[in-house]
Amino acid sequence: MNNKALKNIFPLQPISKFSEEELVSLLKKQDEAAFSYLYDNYAAALKGIITRMVDDTQLAEDILQEAFVKIWNNFKQYDNSKGRLFTWMINITRNLTIDTLRSKGFKKQKKISQDENSVISYQDKNYTTDKFDTIGLRKQLQFLKNDQKIIIDLAYFNGFTQEEISKEMDIPLGTVKTRMRTAIIELRKLLQY
Amino acid sequence: MEKEEIISSGLLEMYVLGVANSEECAIVEQLSFTDASVKEEILAIEQSMEAYAFANAVAPSTNVKNKLFSQLQLNNTIYNSKVIEFNTKTNNSNSQNIGNNKAWYTYAAAAAAILIITSSAFNYFFYNKNKQLIAANIEIEQQLQLASTQTETLNKNLNIVRSKYTEPVSLKGLEAAPDAAAKIFWVKNTNEVYVDASNLPIAPSGKQYQLWAIVDGKPVSAGMITDKDGNKYSIQKMKSFGKAEAFAITLEDEGGHEQPKGTMYVLGKI
Repeated sequence: MNNKALKNIFPLQPISKFSEEELVSLLKKQDEAAFSYLYDNYAAALKGIITRMVDDTQLAEDILQEAFVKIWNNFKQYDNSKGRLFTWMINITRNLTIDTLRSKGFKKQKKISQDENSVISYQDKNYTTDKFDTIGLRKQLQFLKNDQKIIIDLAYFNGFTQEEISKEMDIPLGTVKTRMRTAIIELRKLLQY
Repeated sequence: MEKEEIISSGLLEMYVLGVANSEECAIVEQLSFTDASVKEEILAIEQSMEAYAFANAVAPSTNVKNKLFSQLQLNNTIYNSKVIEFNTKTNNSNSQNIGNNKAWYTYAAAAAAILIITSSAFNYFFYNKNKQLIAANIEIEQQLQLASTQTETLNKNLNIVRSKYTEPVSLKGLEAAPDAAAKIFWVKNTNEVYVDASNLPIAPSGKQYQLWAIVDGKPVSAGMITDKDGNKYSIQKMKSFGKAEAFAITLEDEGGHEQPKGTMYVLGKI
């Protein structure tokens, strides 16, 4: 099923304003309006990642700001043949967060409890430039099994390596990949990708 | 590794989640480059993870964007207004907003330019107008000044003429100028003497009229008649006398003499 068909059938599909190609080509030209749009639409998602690793709101927002500085300054390095824009951005953000924590002598934190905090703080803000139907997504994600959620979160939000995941979840290193695949297949079913 | 093997191994998921090591990344990137179905699979994983990240989004405080934009020295003020715009609109219309905003700025710039030009024209117009008005005002003020000076002089003269103590003496024209005439106003209570020489011919240059009082049969100088108001002789105050039998005016060299030497023009007896 192609994206267009998906868009017509499923409400959970991202609502595009700039197409990703448009956005990327504008950002390569250092278009400020495109960058403003990028921030408005992706900042909250990136802060969601940082927040999983950093308790201190001020530090989290400093990292968020720095992440966008890197995104702006290094945009020429983004290669869309290697993956989607958001994947690139979240990698920058995750690595920056881990580096920052390491430089401050922190260890990787595991904030993977049923993170109701983020739900509350999310809904508190009048954040309406949502790329997705967040409420709908959240409802769907309730059906994700807890250990599947944990393995995804450890990797995606906490930047744990395969070894760290293996240790944390007490599973053999060789099964981390397949467990991850199973979890993500489940996630995709729920989110209809 | 076979393609299916790679797909089912979970390597693509690890790649998207950023957990794959560099060797694994190289394998995935090469495969996605050559195999469209692998690429499509990666894309689907990416989209699902993106949606997952958005489901866990936490809105940052608004000042982060301001700080970011000022750090990058991007045009903060312009895009600030855009943030507000975005936040108050629902999802669908955002890209339109960017277009609309751009158009809006264009219109605003055009409107501002027109305003400036119009305003400059008005400024220039009013500046000139104002200059004219100031000049006219100065002129009117000068005229008023002159008029009030004249009025003052006239009032003074009239008071002299009207005073009940004033004894007018008419001086009649003699041979030199039969049409000439002059008047003396002798204010008896103060002994002040005024002369109205306005009916004398204009004195030639280097010459000046001199007023004489005849006291005990002898002429005594009562002063020089000046014409400081241009060519018109106005009523002017001369020397005072306790008594006099007659008054006469002669044309003398400028500055006058002790005794009359020049031609007598007018004479009047009391």
